Amino acid sequence: MIEIDLTMPRLFTEGPGELTIRTSLESGSLTVLTGPSGAGKTTLLRLVAGLETPSSGRIVVDGHVWFDTQQRVDLPPQKRSIGYVFQDTALFPNMTVQEAIQFAAPKGDPAFVKELIDRTGLGTFMHQKPAQLSGGQRQRVALARALVRRPQVLLLDEPFAALDTQASESLRQVLSALHQVWQATTLLVSHHAQDAQIMANRVIRIVQGKVQLDERAMDKAVSAQVMEPILHIAYHEEHQQWIIQTVTTQLQSTNPAWGQQRVGDLILVRTAN
Amino acid sequence: MMPIDWEPIWLTLRLAGITTMLLLLIGVPLASWLALSRFRLKPVLEAIISLPLVLPPSVVGFYLLLAFSPTSDFGAWLLHHLNLQLVFSFEGLVVASLLYSLPFMVHPIQAGLENLPVSWREAAYTLGQSPGRTLWRVLLPNCKPAILTGIVLTFAHTIGEFGLVLMIGGNLPGQTRVASIAIYDEVELLHFQTAHTYAALLLVLSFAILLLVYFVNKRVTV
Repeated sequence: MIEIDLTMPRLFTEGPGELTIRTSLESGSLTVLTGPSGAGKTTLLRLVAGLETPSSGRIVVDGHVWFDTQQRVDLPPQKRSIGYVFQDTALFPNMTVQEAIQFAAPKGDPAFVKELIDRTGLGTFMHQKPAQLSGGQRQRVALARALVRRPQVLLLDEPFAALDTQASESLRQVLSALHQVWQATTLLVSHHAQDAQIMANRVIRIVQGKVQLDERAMDKAVSAQVMEPILHIAYHEEHQQWIIQTVTTQLQSTNPAWGQQRVGDLILVRTAN
Repeated sequence: MMPIDWEPIWLTLRLAGITTMLLLLIGVPLASWLALSRFRLKPVLEAIISLPLVLPPSVVGFYLLLAFSPTSDFGAWLLHHLNLQLVFSFEGLVVASLLYSLPFMVHPIQAGLENLPVSWREAAYTLGQSPGRTLWRVLLPNCKPAILTGIVLTFAHTIGEFGLVLMIGGNLPGQTRVASIAIYDEVELLHFQTAHTYAALLLVLSFAILLLVYFVNKRVTV
C-alpha cells in the first residue's frame, strides 16, 4: 500500500494555487493519472520520486516512510525504490542499450537482466545508442532501465505521448505484460483514453492540483463492459492492424490473436462512459 | 643567420601543457560544482573566476607580484615554509597562469554541463546513482566537446600570455623567457629574423592545434 498525502504551492495555468493530493494506492495496482496539461500530474510523480519536495505531507510505501514533514524524513531519489520513465526518455546518449541497462542494474542479477531484455524485445538493439533507435524503442529501453532495479513503484510520465499509434500500442502491450508479471505499483500519466480503459485498475483525474475523479476500473467495467457480435473483421496492411467492427464500435489492435476472431463471435466492447 | 634558441618555444609549451593539465584537474570539479549547485553566493565566486577576462593582464600581474614578493606576508610564508619563490620563477608563471586561464577552462565546461537536460541527472538519481557517479558516467561523457574546448582555449591562451609573464616572470632565459617575451626581446634588439622565426612558429603551432580540435570536435559531436 502506498499512502500519499501531499501539499505544495504551485503555479497552475489558471494562476497560483495549491497541489493537494491525498490518496492511497494498492500494492501491485496500475493507476492512470489523467487531467488537463499543467494540472499537477507530472509534479505528483516527481514528488513521489523525490525529485521535488512538497511543503508538507507524507509518503509511506508498504510501511516504509519515504517522506514525512513531521518526522523530518525525506529520502533522496536514490534511496526510494522507484523506476521513473521520463516523457523525453532521458536516455544517456553516450551509452548503448546494454550499457544503459547495466548502468542501472544491481550487481549479481544477470538472469533478471536477460529476462527483462527478452520481455521488452530489446535483444537485437543491445549495441545501439539512443540516437539510432526509434521513439518506441527508446521508450522500451527507458522502461527496461527503470525496471531493472525491481522497483516497488513504477512512475511513467506520458510514455505514449510522442509515439504513433502502432508504437504506442506495442509499448502498451509490453507495459501491460510486464506489469502482470512483476506487479510493481504503477502510476501512469496518460492522455490516452484507452490506457484508462484497458490497462488501469484505477483512474485518477487531477484538475488544478486536486483529485477531481477517482474511479476504480472494476466498478466501471461492470457498468460499461458489453459483449457484442463481430460484424466485420479486416487486416489493415499499411498499419499492420486488425480492425473489428461491431454494432456500436470499431476496435483496432496489432495483437495477432485477433486474427483468430470470426464474424459472429462475441467480443468484449469497452465503451467509455 | 643566427642559430635559433629553442628554449623559449620549449618553455612556452611546457608552461601551457602544465597549466592545462592542472587546470583540467581543478576546472572540471569547479565547473561541475558551479553548474550543478544552488549555493546562494555562487555569483560571487563566478565573478571572481571571470575577473581575468576583463582585467588587463598587467593588473593581475601587478597584484600577483605584490602577493608573491618575498617582502609580502604571503610571499615570505611561501619562501620559509614551502621554500617556494614565485616571483621571477617558472613555478610562479605556472601559478599565475592557473589563475589567469581559469575562466577559459571553467566557462566552457560549466556551460556544457548547464546545457544538458536536467532529466539526465534526475534519471540517474532515480536509478540509484550518486551525484559523483552521475557526473562521471553520465554528465561529463556527454559534454566532451565542451571539455575539449576548455582544454584548447586554456592551452592557446597560456601560449599567448605576455603582460602577466612580463610582470611576474621578467625575462630569465630558461626560467621565464617564454616565446612571446622572446619575440618582444628580439624586436627590441632589432633581431627581426629571429623574431620572425618565433612568431611564425607560434602561428603555425596555434593554427595546427585549433585545426586538430575542430576536426576532433566535429567527430565527437557527430
